[in-house]
Amino acid sequence: MRGTSLRTYLITRLALVIPMVFILLTLVFLLLRVAPGNPIQAALGGHAPPGLVHHIEHRLGFDKPLLTQYWDYLWNIMRGHFGSTTTDNRPISQIIEQNGAATLELTVFAMLVAIIVGVFVGLLAGRFRDTPLDVGGRLFGILMYATPPFFLGLLAQLVFGVWLGWLPVAGQASPLTEALLQTHTNIYFIDAIWDGNWGALWDVTQHLILPGMTLGLITAGVFIRLTRINVIRTLRDDYIEAARARGIAEHRVVFHHAFKNALVPVITIVGLNVATLLGGAVLTETTFNWPGIGHALVTYLENRDYAAVQGIIVIYALVVVAVSVLVDFVNAFVDPRIRY
Amino acid sequence: MPTRRFKGLAVLAVAAAVVAVIATSAYGGAKTNPIIIDGSTGTVVNIDPANEYDYDSFTVDLNIFQGLYGFPTNATLQPVLATGCTHSSDLKTWTCSLRHNVHFSNGDLMTSADVKYSFDRVQKIQGDQGIYTLLSYLKSTTTSGAYTVVFHLTNPDSIWPYILSTNAGYIVDHKTFPSNAILANTDTSHMIGTGPYVLTKFTAGAGGQAVFGLNSHYWGTKPANGGLIINYYSSSATMKLDLQNKTLDMAFQTFDPTEIAAMKNNTNLAVHTGNGVVIRYLVFNVKRAPFNKLGVRKAIAYLMPRQRIATDYHHTVSPLYSMVPKGLPGQTDAFKTLYGSSPNLTKAKAAMKAAGVKTPLAITLWYTPSHYGSFSANEYADIQRALNNSGLFKVTLKTAEWAQYSGALGKVYGGFQLGWFPDYPDADDYTVSFYQTGSFFSNGYSSTQMDSLIQKERASTGTTRYNYLKQIQTLGAKDVPTIPYWQGNMVAVSQKNVLGIGKTLDAAFYMRFWKLSK
Repeated sequence: MRGTSLRTYLITRLALVIPMVFILLTLVFLLLRVAPGNPIQAALGGHAPPGLVHHIEHRLGFDKPLLTQYWDYLWNIMRGHFGSTTTDNRPISQIIEQNGAATLELTVFAMLVAIIVGVFVGLLAGRFRDTPLDVGGRLFGILMYATPPFFLGLLAQLVFGVWLGWLPVAGQASPLTEALLQTHTNIYFIDAIWDGNWGALWDVTQHLILPGMTLGLITAGVFIRLTRINVIRTLRDDYIEAARARGIAEHRVVFHHAFKNALVPVITIVGLNVATLLGGAVLTETTFNWPGIGHALVTYLENRDYAAVQGIIVIYALVVVAVSVLVDFVNAFVDPRIRY
Repeated sequence: MPTRRFKGLAVLAVAAAVVAVIATSAYGGAKTNPIIIDGSTGTVVNIDPANEYDYDSFTVDLNIFQGLYGFPTNATLQPVLATGCTHSSDLKTWTCSLRHNVHFSNGDLMTSADVKYSFDRVQKIQGDQGIYTLLSYLKSTTTSGAYTVVFHLTNPDSIWPYILSTNAGYIVDHKTFPSNAILANTDTSHMIGTGPYVLTKFTAGAGGQAVFGLNSHYWGTKPANGGLIINYYSSSATMKLDLQNKTLDMAFQTFDPTEIAAMKNNTNLAVHTGNGVVIRYLVFNVKRAPFNKLGVRKAIAYLMPRQRIATDYHHTVSPLYSMVPKGLPGQTDAFKTLYGSSPNLTKAKAAMKAAGVKTPLAITLWYTPSHYGSFSANEYADIQRALNNSGLFKVTLKTAEWAQYSGALGKVYGGFQLGWFPDYPDADDYTVSFYQTGSFFSNGYSSTQMDSLIQKERASTGTTRYNYLKQIQTLGAKDVPTIPYWQGNMVAVSQKNVLGIGKTLDAAFYMRFWKLSK
């Protein structure tokens, strides 16, 4: 019976993706059209004669009825045709490929930071409940959670980049490294290893630290609190008491028994935090001049570049939907208590 | 047997040595490399000259392409790929002789066929950015042998050599550029010109870069550096940090005035200032009340607080008294002559009285808060204060972001801010664009006297042309469809070891990277 109902659950979950993506696409389309401003005039710098503006509007289909534009938009997305930006004539696929890779590099590093810091601090805080360590850990978690990424980023730039001069403050690599590095994946960390270019790897790693730590620490705030609560709850469970009663060493009880169980809900939250992480990446990338997709999104939004904004948001939406479906699937398989 | 502690120390020592070697190899090379690394907050739209019509793309193109004319050494127009051009008596036919033995960066010989191809291509493609509109007078291009090109125009055009200096006239290799399509910015292998550099890599957007190597086939004097990298930023604050950290050798576009003031106090950096040709001005829709009354416009001209604005900008701009910036031939301070060099309340009151309007008159002025920099807010606060303090006006300020603002202008707004960067550094570009009937900002200004002067200016040369340009500026000041108020200086900031920047800051507004060394 479980096999049948699990299959039904998975099929239903997958089917729900379609209306979810459709609603997202429609919202993006409508919101951009409602926003004031002429994207063509903005792209042409304001000195274009009206004839030229009309000519381009016609070529891009902006003079068609809204419903026709909407249909064209959906039809093109369904075929994977995202078109080109209007402000700098860049294929959207290139933005996804190049800027998307930079965002992936940053978010993976940030997620590692978030997991390591969040779980470690949360574990200590939970284990040493109501001690100064716990208070410090909780305070750190709340502070990180409440701090806007750009503020933490600016502070990090000021302290580690300007005052101490330890780390670079902007970009994915120093200009010379970037100019000379052969790109295979557009993830510079991997490209440097691919080419065995250890100088570039050192440079790229240094550039990753400040933005990655900024984004990672902010995400770690959630993990700290969640890990702490779960560790406290697990440490009260009967099987932990039983383990202690059998004389098992305290560090074994904590790490081998309590900690493993406390991590299950954290894994779920890690998946769900991908969306938060991508949102935070927009601000972090802008602060650190990181050439990611979030940074590109801000630039194109400012310029009312319909094609670019639509394309990027569709990609964002698809990534978030894919990850949330994946998390649901993993949960359904791993945790038999989930009802479906 | 080594102890565990000894083993740990040994591993740490090896790791530290590896890190040290890696760090040395990463930065050791950069220090000895003569490449110039520049920072910019600009956005490159199209590198292909057939669709390039913005300053940031132009700054890239300047290194790769050349025209028959240009400004290779200073703000004086000089033949570049041509040895000279002659014109017919009616200024409708221009014959240009080409320089011999000029090769493209791929080794191809440049001939008249490439010149004709380049002009035909711009006219055929009619790119979105509208650069082809600069060739609106060009009827056809013909060749006469391998080194002579003839341009046939529909109207007399005394400024044709200036048009040849714009990127609408940049010469491309007919073997690598498609005749009917724009080359993608990343297609660097086909982006072939005759300039001192060759584009080897381009990644778009903030965080991206343009990388230039030396053109081994370059016909002129070799660049003073080993290459160029332009690094793009979305924020001048981050660019400033990279300059302070010596990641950049220099940054040229664009810092805000407070950042420039701060960097002037930094002993490790050099701030270079030269004549600029960017201007800022206030536009009136002369058909819309209350700006349809000449007296109201004149009163504002009498009260314009130019000195105050320049002070607010930390003197990175200079007061401007004509739509034509100082430094260009034919410029005259028409507004200073008519309205004085500083605000004059008595004359402003007289102008309002003559207009027969009740004071204080409520008016609305629009500006755009980020497109021209964050200091636009200070600029318009100064104007509001000056007008309100006169007791003659009650000013309401309104703002709109560029995407909305640029589509509205005179169609929606009565009084509004605009800025201008020239297509070519000549007084013609600062007058015809604003004063001719049917201007791009739709302000309703139309004067038969003005149109006639413009026609005469285009059909004359030398001193006669400059005299017409002065008359145009004077008539513009009398009719006041626009009020110029500042002229931006050209500012670049560099490390102290970068040489040659001061020599390239002139009214041509060219950053001649090939002249820089370190």
